[in-house]
Amino acid sequence: MDGIEFSGVQYAVQGKPVLHGITLSLHERRIGIVGRNGSGKTTLLRLMAGLLAPTGGTIRVAGVDPAVDRKAMLRAIGILFQNPDHQIIFPTVEEELAFGLRQLGLRAGEATARVRTCLAAEGRAHWAAAPVTALSQGQKQWLCLMAVLLMEPATLLLDEPFAALDLPTQARLSRRLASLPQRLVTISHDPQAVAGCDRVIWLEAGRVVGDGAAAWVLEEFRAEMARRGDSDADTDLGA
Amino acid sequence: MERNLTHIALFAALIAVLGLVPKIDLASGVPITAQSLGIMLCGTVLGAKRGTLAVLLFLGLTALGLPLLAGGRGGLGVFVSPTAGYLVGFPLAAFVAGLVVEKWRAPVGIAAFGGAFLGGLVVLHACGIAGMAVVLGKTLPEAAGLALPFFAGDLLKAVIAGAITQGLARVRPQALLSRG
Amino acid sequence: MLTLTSAHETAAHRWPAGPKLAAAALGSALIFPVQALPVIGGALLALAALHLVLGWGFTREAAGRLWMLWPFLLVLTLWHLWTGEIRAGAVIAGRMVFAVALANLVTMTTRLDAMLAAVERVLTPFARFGLNPRVLALAVALVIRFTPVLLDKAGQLRQAWRARSPKRAGVAIVLPLVLTALDDADHVAEALRARGGL
Repeated sequence: MDGIEFSGVQYAVQGKPVLHGITLSLHERRIGIVGRNGSGKTTLLRLMAGLLAPTGGTIRVAGVDPAVDRKAMLRAIGILFQNPDHQIIFPTVEEELAFGLRQLGLRAGEATARVRTCLAAEGRAHWAAAPVTALSQGQKQWLCLMAVLLMEPATLLLDEPFAALDLPTQARLSRRLASLPQRLVTISHDPQAVAGCDRVIWLEAGRVVGDGAAAWVLEEFRAEMARRGDSDADTDLGA
Repeated sequence: MERNLTHIALFAALIAVLGLVPKIDLASGVPITAQSLGIMLCGTVLGAKRGTLAVLLFLGLTALGLPLLAGGRGGLGVFVSPTAGYLVGFPLAAFVAGLVVEKWRAPVGIAAFGGAFLGGLVVLHACGIAGMAVVLGKTLPEAAGLALPFFAGDLLKAVIAGAITQGLARVRPQALLSRG
Repeated sequence: MLTLTSAHETAAHRWPAGPKLAAAALGSALIFPVQALPVIGGALLALAALHLVLGWGFTREAAGRLWMLWPFLLVLTLWHLWTGEIRAGAVIAGRMVFAVALANLVTMTTRLDAMLAAVERVLTPFARFGLNPRVLALAVALVIRFTPVLLDKAGQLRQAWRARSPKRAGVAIVLPLVLTALDDADHVAEALRARGGL
């Protein structure tokens, strides 16, 4: 029962469909979702996290509707947004990390103690009072990851986790992610970012057009992207 | 619920930023501080209730000691200074500006200008003048003389507030909570 | 973010926030109806002495913060020289300087977290009327977090403007700034929901 089930899921914004009848059953430990910009992959991720409610069909995460039972979802799903600046709520590192723990019902003292322990274990005890604006992009990403991991969700959703990072930071983050015991669902436009997954799903214009082992789905994806890149037109406003 | 809170907080920050950015040049090259423009926009964009709460949050943080007023001022001192009346007028101005945009079904730009004029000019200066009269021990007409030089700039800001609100209605109609 | 708490650490920094706030409020209320110039002069002297006891650097900083009153002192001086009611003018000016300096004293010696704690204590009884102190604390944190972000964005917009225009940035940057604030509000609302909401 601990998988993520989509059955006939539709999502439309102001009558304009973004996802058409998606049916998926996700149980693998490492899942990748690829697609071009605007293919609907970020919407899919937000539906999984329960941040959006589908306009048709049903979604179940470990048997629960993620948009309805928000309390249960905190332990089931954590989400890492593409832009850390869209995720960080508080002015200092310590407050940001403690927030999720308080939300899980810990008292202020306990939450602070857990945060201190976590920072010390990561060799970053001196970060506690640092203003979040002083962090580099990679450090902000790390802060967001820690804030989510402290809540110990069973599944972690990652939205283009490597997009804004330089190469050494990418390497560090991907090593860190690989070592996590959680189920990871990674979305990206970059086939490289999901190459190590157990299963890759290819989304195109709100539909699943490829689903299976990473090697062959990504090979077809690369070929199709190269074919599209050769033509010049990109004038569709999509309205 | 979360969106209400974040809108109120972000607009409180916006008021501060408009007071802290280096002065903005008007078309004529006259520099103005845009803080009262921020107050007007709170009302015309967020509506009466949320706009007022955003301004109150901004004032609360100023009172706690953050230097958020134009020119980096703040703290409790400004609330007993001669300009205290203007601070009292800030939330009322946002409320009136928001109420006008919500109730007056004129085109958005016109209603927003009307609201900004009534709130940001009439109500705000009425409060400000009363405050100066009390602290400086003067009559209302005498205190009004001190406020007079700022009327032209504030009239222009009301026009700008109208234009910005209309621009927002055009590029992002769903963001205009005052007309939601 | 920078606050207006003085970096000159004084004994008054260690006094509790609640009594300091109460004393400043009481002092302002008591001085307001006073018309006797000697009383106001005495109060000003006592306040100045308190500043000096707290430290010379601190006193200079406090004096600097009273500078914002100069336009009003100028107006009062000219006005009362003209009307000849010099004594009345001195009463008004003295009262104003005393009230502002007393309030500034509290601001300069009380850290933001102590202020917040005092406010939260005062507001706790109001929780039953829907004024949740936790939501208020969250709102305060959001403003402190996003003021520098928006300020940064304003700087970027000015630079983008300067890169393509010979003139300084005009009011044209305000609309994109408002849009940024609206977008950030949506993103943070989502981040809050992702971690359990309010």
